[in-house]
Amino acid sequence: MANNLGHWRLAWRLLRRDWRAGELRVLLSALVIAVTATTAIGFFTDRLQRAMVGQSAELLGGDLLLQGPRPLALAWRQRAATEGLATSETLEFPSVVVSGDNFQLAGIRAVAAGFPLRGTLRTAATPYGAEQAVTTIPAAGEAWVEARLLPLLGLEVGGQFELGSLALRITRVLAFEPGGGGNFAALAPRVLINQADVTSAEVLQPGSRVSYISYFAGSEAALRRYRTWLEPQLEPSHRLTDVRHGPQARPSVGAALDRAEQYLGLASLVAVLLAGVAIAMGARRYSERHFDVAAVLRCLGAGQRDILALFLPQLLWLGLLGSTLGVILGFGLQFGLFYLLRELLPGTVPPAGWQPLAVGFLTGITVLAGFALPPVLRLKQVSALRVLRRELDPMPLRGWLVYGGALAAMGGLMWRYTGSAALTLGVLGGALAALLLLGLVAYALLRASRRLQRGVGVAWRYGLNNLWRRPLLSVSQILAFGLTLMAMALIALVRGDLLSTWQTQLPADAPNHFVVNVVPERVGAFGDFLAAGNIRSAGLYPMVRGRLAEVNGEPLAVRLPPGEEGAGAVNRELNLTWSSELPADNTITAGQWFGAAASGEAVVSVEAQLAVRLEVKLGDELRFNFGSGELAVTITSLRSVQWDSFRPNFFMIFPPGLLDNYPATYMTSFYLPDKRKGELAQMLRDFPAVTVIDLDRLMEQVRRILEQVTMAVEYVLLFVLLAGFAVLYAALQASLDERLYEGALLRTLGASRAQLRAGHLAEYALLGLLAGLFAAAGAELVAFILYQQVFQLAYTIKWPLWLLLPPVGALLIGAVGYWGTRRVVRNSPLVVLQGLS
Amino acid sequence: MSQSPEGFPILSARGVGKQVAGVSGGSGKEGGGLTILSDVSFEMAAGESLAVVGVSGSGKSTLLGLLAGLDLPSSGEIHLAGKCLNRLDEDGRARLRGAHVGFVFQSFQLLPSLTALENVMLPLELAGVAAAAEQATQLLARVGLAARLGHYPRQLSGGEQQRVAIARAFAISPSVLFADEPTGNLDAASGERVSELLFALNAEQGTTLVLVTHDERLAARCGRTLRLDAGRVVADGQ
Ligand SMILES: Nc1ncnc2c1ncn2[C@@H]1O[C@H](COP(=O)(O)OP(=O)(O)O)[C@@H](O)[C@H]1O
Ligand SMILES: [Mg+2]
Repeated sequence: MANNLGHWRLAWRLLRRDWRAGELRVLLSALVIAVTATTAIGFFTDRLQRAMVGQSAELLGGDLLLQGPRPLALAWRQRAATEGLATSETLEFPSVVVSGDNFQLAGIRAVAAGFPLRGTLRTAATPYGAEQAVTTIPAAGEAWVEARLLPLLGLEVGGQFELGSLALRITRVLAFEPGGGGNFAALAPRVLINQADVTSAEVLQPGSRVSYISYFAGSEAALRRYRTWLEPQLEPSHRLTDVRHGPQARPSVGAALDRAEQYLGLASLVAVLLAGVAIAMGARRYSERHFDVAAVLRCLGAGQRDILALFLPQLLWLGLLGSTLGVILGFGLQFGLFYLLRELLPGTVPPAGWQPLAVGFLTGITVLAGFALPPVLRLKQVSALRVLRRELDPMPLRGWLVYGGALAAMGGLMWRYTGSAALTLGVLGGALAALLLLGLVAYALLRASRRLQRGVGVAWRYGLNNLWRRPLLSVSQILAFGLTLMAMALIALVRGDLLSTWQTQLPADAPNHFVVNVVPERVGAFGDFLAAGNIRSAGLYPMVRGRLAEVNGEPLAVRLPPGEEGAGAVNRELNLTWSSELPADNTITAGQWFGAAASGEAVVSVEAQLAVRLEVKLGDELRFNFGSGELAVTITSLRSVQWDSFRPNFFMIFPPGLLDNYPATYMTSFYLPDKRKGELAQMLRDFPAVTVIDLDRLMEQVRRILEQVTMAVEYVLLFVLLAGFAVLYAALQASLDERLYEGALLRTLGASRAQLRAGHLAEYALLGLLAGLFAAAGAELVAFILYQQVFQLAYTIKWPLWLLLPPVGALLIGAVGYWGTRRVVRNSPLVVLQGLS
Repeated sequence: MSQSPEGFPILSARGVGKQVAGVSGGSGKEGGGLTILSDVSFEMAAGESLAVVGVSGSGKSTLLGLLAGLDLPSSGEIHLAGKCLNRLDEDGRARLRGAHVGFVFQSFQLLPSLTALENVMLPLELAGVAAAAEQATQLLARVGLAARLGHYPRQLSGGEQQRVAIARAFAISPSVLFADEPTGNLDAASGERVSELLFALNAEQGTTLVLVTHDERLAARCGRTLRLDAGRVVADGQ
């Protein structure tokens, strides 16, 4: 009986008929939803990620930065070329620039054509004037300088200054320069010159503090290969940075990126899981409606393998069709979304890779295999005897088969997201236990609701009975709807809080300027200046530069070999401060703040994350090197620091008096609105030595990233909602035959249409109400855990959840259920009873 | 297509019984189980016809199911087309059915999703016959449905559906045809037409026929009658 071609033809024919009869609608639409969600989210994340990484790269000036004390080695440059990476080499050094009587230490950067590889230089014709993106670099003999240098040198655009033996003419004001500004250490006014001028200026002597920064740009894969190749060869003095790693990768950007990715991935998994539930329901109904067919086929001589050969191809075609449709839809929707959001997104969003297509497709096949295969496999067990005894159903599926398939599918998909088998198993195990527990909770809710039975009319009792009569179906529906509502509520909640957290962290008057290099003698005067201008600052902090040399007598280079993550941050010079008071947004996580009494004691408070990277704990001894001396201190507390607050923050805080022997300058940050930026010129005139850093641009960047994340999240909400409706639809379908039959019987016995409708409404409204209650409780719990563990935000009970979710559930599900069961009363009872006989 | 030599039984039952477990309160309760059939024995030579009669619930369908290998007896042996059914597994019996057995049921049992033609082609396709469509068309013409090839069961009357089922049953030229109350769901005229066709095709193909019915007139047209009462053979004759 192995005519495979015949089988395939027959399978195709059966499928076509089922299709026309609408039998496959639930299955297919749920599948399409799952695949569309995954694909669209996949594409969206992929492109958004590329855009975000791209934007960060724009700030960095390249995808990868290598900083070192010598020019890029020839072999390293050649290797980059072989990998197809674009390379741009620059050098940076501090040098005094002179104009007449005025002289000023400036940070000089010499660049060659092609710089920057990512992002653009922005310049203006006048100080703080309208900015303009430029694609060129200063010509030889020209310089672009930061606005604050002009008053220091007493010059205007067009004026000339001297750098070493070279005269340079200022042709533009430098407004933004990729790859700069990340390091507060070299915060002298910036000057951009052409590399050709470096030698003629004769400013570089042996021993000069020159930093060579090479920028690389290219494909992700090439960069990864290059990085892997390069890292083992780096010396301690080298620093490698990319958008995600390294000292210049801003934690805020990286964290937002990671959070967004996890979030979107999680949401798409929820959509897939819900669609999977709908698929399982649809497949079960499909299977049950094909028991008779399988029995007849068995009777006509089909073996179990023939049955599989007839039904599995149908599933496969369905999978191919659904996945293809979903992938196309997902691709299209993603385009539409980017179109809708074009105002908010960066000018050009890079095209997506092909992976989301493959992932979407694989997801479709996986979900179908996991959720639909077990019920369909049951067809194989149908006994031929059923042709004589219709009530003979095949053995019910073994639990492990049903749930095993679903678990395997979800596990596989989750594994793809987490990339860790252990994590996947953990999450899966947790989810399973949670689901069991939740099932019990839903069942308890259902049981409790039985009390309603007393005191309702016959129509309502009929409807409510429907719920209690099929407790398993009802519980799974409460779970499905409850989880859907919960997911939606959580997404809305977290999204709102994510944004408002940022907004509270970045209030309208968040500091937007940093000032460093305030000399001790002028601290008072500077404070007075701020006060006079009514500029609120974060307070002036002393800053001493020193290098961490040893931990418990062990040299740092040994303890934390270069190239190891975080080594760069630790190996460079650190900004150290002293204070008797704990800065406002710091909290002690271990030990005790030394307080005012500790003045002069050899103790230190270390930032908690740095302590983790350094592997140090309370009581350890740190030895610092200040060039002119050394200092050994004991760690007495660890602090968590809010780096995103744009206030001066420090890895190490000492008690007052301990650092008195070392040269200090003061720093602060303050808020100055846009229209008052002109006052900076006055500040620079009064305090020529200070360096002002404008943070608005960086904050703008962070805001934009957040807005993008929010958009993406709202979009995902839509898919979860759709998947939830797929579950509802599938559940309706699953019980429809029975309802049709019972409805017809009841009407034959004298029930009116209105009574039946009222019964349906009662049933689904109660279902929705229970699901809403369930969702409120679940969302509350999950949000609590999220806030405590992930976002580290204070949690308050979310009352609106309890007020909103139950009625919303009742309304939504009541309406859809009411609509979905309209067929039950539409046809005459006779037609229904005959049609089903 | 009868492969057994003349006189050699193509179908035999020896001491066949069927019990089902665990249903309490039924009649004939023995050892905790319900006995549906007990000690049924007979033999049929190729080309013979046998009517199984009895009141509703007497075990006729159960016996038919056992004889066709749809189920296994609790006791006794059944041989069909030279094979002992007891020794075949479910798939083996399915293969045997596919090659040697045709069915006609009271409730027609056509696949609703296939046309009349496709329904008749089904057993041929399962058997891997290349010219399935031609053979099926001829058979449908033979039962007077040449004009209804592309119609779905829904679009056919009960009598027409049963004629499609007959065409399907004869498609593989079965050695044995099992019919379970083939006219039970039909009005007199349609029933008459269906039974005419059944006996005519049976004679043309020399098929062995096992016909379950409670219609004594129909039973009289068979060579032999087996009368069941509460699962026991109470008469076997003529
Ligand atoms: N698997 C089974 N479990 C319980 N009772 C059964 C089973 N199979 C058959 N019966 C019972 O056996 C009796 C005979 O059934 P059946 O063979 O269908 O009778 P008939 O076809 O003569 O009307 C009936 O009472 C039926 O309910
Ligand atoms: Mg019967």
